[in-house]
Amino acid sequence: MSERSHIESLDKEISRRSFLKGVGTAVIATAAAPARAVAARTEQIERLGTDQTVGPGQAPVTLSVNSQALKLNLEPRVTLLDALRNYSNLTGTKEVCDRGTCGACTVLLDGKPVYSCMKLAIEAQGHEITTIEGLAPAGKLTDVQQAVVDHDALMCGYCTPGFIMSMTSLLKANPHPTADEVRVACSGNLCRCGTQHRMLAAALQSAGAPLAKTIEVIRDA
Amino acid sequence: MPSWPAKPTVVGASTTRVDATAAVTGAAKYSSDIQTGGWLYGMIFRSRWPAAHVTKVNVDKARQVPGIKAAVVEREGERTVRFYGEELAAVAGVSKQACLDALRAISVEATPLPFVVKEEVAKKPDAPRVWPDAPNLAEPNVKEQGDVDKAFAEAAAVVEGFFTTAVQIHHPLEPHGNTVSVTNDGVTCWASTQGIFSVREGLASYLDVSQEKVRVITEHMGGGFGAKFGPGSEGGLAARLSQAAGAPVKLMLTRFDQALAVGNRPSSFQRIRLGAGADGKLVAFDMDAFGTAGFGAGAASAGGGGGAGFPAPYIYTVPNIRVKQASVAINAGQGRAFRAPGHPVASFGMESILDELAVKLKMDPVEIRLKNDPSEVRRREYEIGADRFGWKRKYKPPGSTTGPVKVGVGCGGATWGGGGRGSQAEAQINPDGSLEIRCGTQDLGTGTHTVVAVVAAEVFGLKPGQITVKIGDTRFPPSGASGGSTTAASVCPAIFDACTNALQRLQEAAGVADARGANWTSACKKLGVNPLTVHGEWREGLSSRGAGGVQFAEVEVDTETGFVKVRKILCVQDCGLVVNKLTCETQIQGGIIMGLGYALYEERVMDSTTGFVLNPNFETYKLPGFADVPDIEVILMEMPERGVIGVGEPCTIPTASAIANAVANALGVRVCSLPVTPARVLAALGKAVKPGGSV
Amino acid sequence: MNSFEYVSPRTVDGAISRVTDRGRFFAGGIDILGEMKEYIASPQVLVSVKELPATHEIEPGKSWTIGANVTISEIEQHAGLRRTFPGLQQAAAEVGSPQIRNVATVGGNLAQHSRCWYYRHRDIQCLKRGGSTCYAREGDNRYHSLFTGNPCISPVVSNLAIALAALDAKVIVRRGKDEAALTIPDLYAKAWDNPVVHHSLGPTDLILRVQIPDEGRASAYRQISEKASFDWALVSCAAAAKVDGNKLRQVRVVLGAVAPVPYQVAAAHEYLEGRELTDEVAAQASEIMLKDALALDYNGYKVPIARALIHRTLQQLVG
Repeated sequence: MSERSHIESLDKEISRRSFLKGVGTAVIATAAAPARAVAARTEQIERLGTDQTVGPGQAPVTLSVNSQALKLNLEPRVTLLDALRNYSNLTGTKEVCDRGTCGACTVLLDGKPVYSCMKLAIEAQGHEITTIEGLAPAGKLTDVQQAVVDHDALMCGYCTPGFIMSMTSLLKANPHPTADEVRVACSGNLCRCGTQHRMLAAALQSAGAPLAKTIEVIRDA
Repeated sequence: MPSWPAKPTVVGASTTRVDATAAVTGAAKYSSDIQTGGWLYGMIFRSRWPAAHVTKVNVDKARQVPGIKAAVVEREGERTVRFYGEELAAVAGVSKQACLDALRAISVEATPLPFVVKEEVAKKPDAPRVWPDAPNLAEPNVKEQGDVDKAFAEAAAVVEGFFTTAVQIHHPLEPHGNTVSVTNDGVTCWASTQGIFSVREGLASYLDVSQEKVRVITEHMGGGFGAKFGPGSEGGLAARLSQAAGAPVKLMLTRFDQALAVGNRPSSFQRIRLGAGADGKLVAFDMDAFGTAGFGAGAASAGGGGGAGFPAPYIYTVPNIRVKQASVAINAGQGRAFRAPGHPVASFGMESILDELAVKLKMDPVEIRLKNDPSEVRRREYEIGADRFGWKRKYKPPGSTTGPVKVGVGCGGATWGGGGRGSQAEAQINPDGSLEIRCGTQDLGTGTHTVVAVVAAEVFGLKPGQITVKIGDTRFPPSGASGGSTTAASVCPAIFDACTNALQRLQEAAGVADARGANWTSACKKLGVNPLTVHGEWREGLSSRGAGGVQFAEVEVDTETGFVKVRKILCVQDCGLVVNKLTCETQIQGGIIMGLGYALYEERVMDSTTGFVLNPNFETYKLPGFADVPDIEVILMEMPERGVIGVGEPCTIPTASAIANAVANALGVRVCSLPVTPARVLAALGKAVKPGGSV
Repeated sequence: MNSFEYVSPRTVDGAISRVTDRGRFFAGGIDILGEMKEYIASPQVLVSVKELPATHEIEPGKSWTIGANVTISEIEQHAGLRRTFPGLQQAAAEVGSPQIRNVATVGGNLAQHSRCWYYRHRDIQCLKRGGSTCYAREGDNRYHSLFTGNPCISPVVSNLAIALAALDAKVIVRRGKDEAALTIPDLYAKAWDNPVVHHSLGPTDLILRVQIPDEGRASAYRQISEKASFDWALVSCAAAAKVDGNKLRQVRVVLGAVAPVPYQVAAAHEYLEGRELTDEVAAQASEIMLKDALALDYNGYKVPIARALIHRTLQQLVG
């Protein structure tokens, strides 16, 4: 089997889809400003189900994020993560894999942790979205956030918002989880720096079952 | 010569990270979070071929895609692509969607070339060549000492083994990338980098602008592990896009890109023979090894850089040696320095074969190490660790457990340089008592922000929370790149010097003998209107080089399913003076968890037919999950008289070795390849059905 | 991903009429968005099925009904389901991660596509995607099938399918104007012979609900993965049986991740019928089940894992 033939068949695939480039041109061309600009007053769209087709071009989308209405113009293919980070200024939620495999993009949807990279923004309408920015009103850290600080359950900090969202949701539903329950709740969150041990301690601290925190130090000449 | 206080109150204590609040609230701005006015989204177009002669990369149609403001080819003219994922072009537009559509509109004229992606195949003389004028297999580096053949002939016990390690990808969670703004006034680059000055230098050179017009900012960054030095192809492309579009461009790599093109830890294939006398003293070591660092064929560079070489024999003193190491080129992404480059590779081969020898001699593995490890510090660490771990009670001859779930223990040691020099810093004291410490260094999650505050607080008799720390800006006094476990040892002495100088100047200006602590506010008031800005730099006497460390592992292996569960890792680690205990221990735990990944899960998989990376994602390139992390105990062996030494790398070196040794101890047979997957365990036990076979 | 139209109809007829051959049904979205982001699927219309009536409930009874839009989390956390069908709950608990389970649905889980890394690769057009070659056959097949009736060797990956097969569940599917009740073997049968399909559903067939008869059987599910959590099964096993003293009756044992279908062997069920579960009996059942296993270059390790799982899952039934 020649190397060339499978590349050629891919090229055919691409040209078949070239029609898509023309779609929605009119709508996009008029948006001279970057698409992330918040739209002017638009009609709020509740949870979809009106049998009305949306897209493929931009359509008004209203997201309730941290109890505030975020009004945007988005194509259906824009994910909630993209809407937060690139069409708004809510950059606390992080993009790491964009495939629902690492948890850095975890937000709460009606209090339940979901991967915002695998949720279409239009489908997040009519739900209450909570991001990391929405946890600590007026700057007072929640118990979970404070425990993460106290236990040094962070290093580079990039996975931290996602973990905090998962743990916040767990502790709301189950204020006194066992270590295994914490492990299950955090099973969808990866950390490359290796803070998992600290995270477990922070979660159990927030659960009111703090681990004795000692660092063993010995002096040796 | 300066020295740390004999009885420090802040240095050596535990201080929570000064940047923790920003991180836990989402307020911390990483380069991927920068939204400077009018910013555009950037994306890279990559080669679909592992090897190809490219005659044209056409971005004309990409430029026409609605929302696209710029499209550039990586280089003009014909070129040869040497790995799947090589950068060919880049686009910038108002949205991710515009960029995705633009990438689909780029066309490439190319003739695919023969390629090779497996090391064992690439080293054969008739393999497709990665570079036309050179064989894939470089001439080996050879090191000889004594008379190794005679020593083997006379040895009481000789063992031999073939050990392999996989290519490991750094995969920091924040991808590589930058937000770059190029205007007539200059260049501002918010970089996800370990070396702001390396990015500045690289961009200035690439764009042919003077360095003083280039500013690089890295206030927070999401991990590097050695892969993030210099602007990279992505930084140069972002800068060109910004120039072309007349707007800032944020170009962050995707996870797919990360798996292909921004570095990895080279693989290894190590044939090792080891001989010893009846007393366990090593007498002969013979190694024939090769590995790949990707498409760059060339000589190995032991202990640094991205080459495939590594120190051998690792740690242990052997009087008669022959070491041959060669690197082999394949059509895959280039290696880059990855947390203790060469050392985890070296450790795995050495500690594995050493345990085999111990078994043959019926010696305790800790005993044989005490006999041959030249480092008094590590020998002490083995004794302390073995005692705390319960080694004497836990160690049993290989395969002793009855029942299908077998328990075993293993250990291994680390050696690393670290140390540092060459950092500068400045302290600005304001008349209202507020103060700011500025240093052009980086915090990769390693806690640099915090150790700066700790050292300053120690000198001024204040609390770390009273110190404003500013790092990660090339407008600040320069510091080195953060790699090689050199940051703390470079930065802390510079901070100490700047603050000591500043304190002295404050005391002179205020006319007080002691401006520290309770006297601070009143002393500062005497400054009048202007703040005091005082410079400092690294000085001898506050840091040194050379860290060790040992680790013990306890595992249970299910011999019916091959599943390995690590029950516990215990680490005894020295790193001189511990500046901040809390973040030091976190760092060590982190290194251990990275070593766990190397031991059990991580492997870049190449496909021979297509030349592609088969696992360019976190679904099948597997990082340790929360439930995979065992109990970890860290014992810090403090040696304050040695000053500050780095710890980021030694703590990740022997983890996989200890785990692999524990698995071999549990099973009675050895898995000689990393990662130790259920498939490999079952194969070692003779339970896997052979290809083409049935039950 | 490419752009698309999105619609969320309120009737099944509406959904089927909108999907045509340009579109795909869209439930939780985890599977299809993954395909779309790699451009291995580019539907022009996404037809959300999440607003369809009578698809969101778990209804106990002589035969339990689980609506197609019930999420994996809801299954995992339903106390009644856990008591009645513990094997299903155990299978649900192993699906992905909490974030995935909160949005993934029963219907989507059953209908999900292959996870073969050649199939899922953006630049490979394998046999299953209409190309000419199964790359895994000569390539890295460590995660692939031990049993198959066709040149494609990618295995079924739905945990729920394995558990539901052991429970003799039926899947109610709308096919055109009619509803069809498919057994789990029916649901996947086409994938045994036909390399380009993932199951027996046509592009406009829609799963509406799952029905599980409550026959008082014990059930269990286990899997082995490389990691302790959030990892596809290397091999999985589900079993169900009436436990009468120490004797097993009405036994089902099903293997997952080893074939394009949930793998069952009638002869193994016949063998186990009425027998007391001992080590020898379990070993013999394994031999019968694994008789036709054919190891490829890199997946021979799945055989001992399957053997161990069959034994342990059966053991879990008798407690």
